[in-house]
Amino acid sequence: MNTNSNVYTVIYTTIVCVVVAAILAFVSQSLKDRQEANEKAENISQILTAAQFGEKSSWTDNNTTINFYKENIDRALLVNAKGETVKVMDASKAEIYTVSDLKKQNYNVNGASGELEIPVYIFKNGVSVLPLYGAGLWGPVWGYVALENDLRTIKGAYFDHSSETPGLGGKIKDDPAFRGAFCGKQLNIGSERPFTIAKGAGSSNDGIDAISGATMTSKGVDAALVAWLNAYMPYIVANVNE
Amino acid sequence: MDAKLKETILNPLWKGNPISVLVLGICSSLAVTVELKGACVMALSVTIVTALSSLVCSLIRKTIPNRVRIIIQLVVVALMVILVDQVLKAFAYGVGKQLSVYIGLIITNCIVMGRIEAFALGNKPVASFLDGLFNGLGYGIILIVVGFFRELLGSGTLFGFDVLNRFGYVNNGLVILPPMALIFLGCLIWIQRAISKDLQEK
Amino acid sequence: MEYLSLFVKSIFVDNMIFAYFLGMCSYLAVSKNVKTANGLGIAVILVLLITLPINYLLNKYVLSPGALSWLGDNFAGVDLSFLSFIVFIAVIAGIVQVVEMVVEKFMPSLYSSLGIFLPLIAVNCAILGGSLFMQQREFVNVGESAVYALGSGIGWYLAIVALAAIREKLSYSNVPAPLKGLGITFFTVGLMGMAFMAFMGISL
Repeated sequence: MNTNSNVYTVIYTTIVCVVVAAILAFVSQSLKDRQEANEKAENISQILTAAQFGEKSSWTDNNTTINFYKENIDRALLVNAKGETVKVMDASKAEIYTVSDLKKQNYNVNGASGELEIPVYIFKNGVSVLPLYGAGLWGPVWGYVALENDLRTIKGAYFDHSSETPGLGGKIKDDPAFRGAFCGKQLNIGSERPFTIAKGAGSSNDGIDAISGATMTSKGVDAALVAWLNAYMPYIVANVNE
Repeated sequence: MDAKLKETILNPLWKGNPISVLVLGICSSLAVTVELKGACVMALSVTIVTALSSLVCSLIRKTIPNRVRIIIQLVVVALMVILVDQVLKAFAYGVGKQLSVYIGLIITNCIVMGRIEAFALGNKPVASFLDGLFNGLGYGIILIVVGFFRELLGSGTLFGFDVLNRFGYVNNGLVILPPMALIFLGCLIWIQRAISKDLQEK
Repeated sequence: MEYLSLFVKSIFVDNMIFAYFLGMCSYLAVSKNVKTANGLGIAVILVLLITLPINYLLNKYVLSPGALSWLGDNFAGVDLSFLSFIVFIAVIAGIVQVVEMVVEKFMPSLYSSLGIFLPLIAVNCAILGGSLFMQQREFVNVGESAVYALGSGIGWYLAIVALAAIREKLSYSNVPAPLKGLGITFFTVGLMGMAFMAFMGISL
């Protein structure tokens, strides 16, 4: 058979494309439920880690993680641009915003005209967890900042990324020192920059140092943090306990 | 073991090393060698992907129309990588998540393509599989050596455990930056060619 | 003005070679003299300029979550983003082969001077990297993606021609024998990369 004829080439390519697309679609569909369950548990474990309920590595089992969340969550709210609660999420089903939900809201946080609805997770011990989402160097970065009962003092934080360089930008997730630097810092409520991640900012009360060698990732996290905290600011101002 | 097979196995490890002699897969070796752990994960994944896609491409080599062979090869490679990623995400989420950072780097790794084009399209499946496997290993060795020195000198740690800092070592931030990986690779090439004089360029 | 800033930024600040170290393999392999470097550089600009807008449209109207909503409400929930890697790669490889055929047919002299470098571009990770950056940065229209493609292509072109010029000069220097050729090139690129890092702080 002449493998160089036009007809053969076209047919061959078409068959390969269809077969590959079919395999991928089949695999992606059949594994979707499992993947989504894993993703949800992963998101919850990040929220719990930010709220200092335990180290990230202690949340390995999906069911334990979700049950712990259900037992300890007080309420999970969706707030709008005015800081008003527009919806209460079902805590008994451990309903949360996944990373893709955060991605959708990120457009609104950054000034798109859509209806802003961003989640606040309030635990029974008074800790509130606020998510954030933005762009790092190679891909998206996201994370959670946990605030004490006063909504001003930071209790803890957790960050994750899809494709930052391991050992450089990847430190936002892997380096406990970076996360730990947030603990005990205070948001500068009323300022345009409630919090800063930059070189030399670690000496102030409302900032921490950027990761050396990962300027672009640090800048990305900083921009995401500032944008999302500003989006939450009406809610924080309305509920802050002096 | 016949001589040709032995050649297939030993060549990629020294005289035909994909990085230091064939200049393939440089981009990824710069990006992931900041720490030893990343280098090991990448070395392992590239070895598996190169071996499997060489095997598959060699199996279908007689049916591929010459004019579209690049598309077909890339599609096969991408398919392999994405499949591994999807399955891991469903059944071993932790591992899959760590690996997903490297997915793009593995697909665009020219070693995979380079070995298919240079070897798998003209050889039998078993030989192609071995060729892919050992090219992956040859690549992995360099990655691990560079990763070892960069993590040790740049962060004072190995696999994240403190090694040098306890002796008062001050981290050399320059080593973490990608240009230093090029310099380390240059040094490795220097050493290799000083040992094997026949690799030297005129 | 925004286009200009994006253009300058993608040439210098986000230089494919020196900021992201993408497309290194062909960069190192094909930079022995200025003439071939010139050919490959132009080919890269050309392919980036064609593939990026195509991939942009594919991403916007087919691949990203909810992108198929123009087909009707039933398709609004379809998320094909798991296909994006494979589609981008296929488009790139396809375009490279089409460009190769067109150039061969209509500009035989250019074709013979580019020679083997055209097919090599398909495996140049700068091209796929360009498409992935484009997907991640969420450009607002085709124009932006085209400007970005042109800028990063020119950045790559500048980098390879500069290295080729240095290597031509270097061939007259007295380099230690084991370092000749590839070894000294690695050192050169490392030093060039450090120099280019000076652009990192610039924001336009």
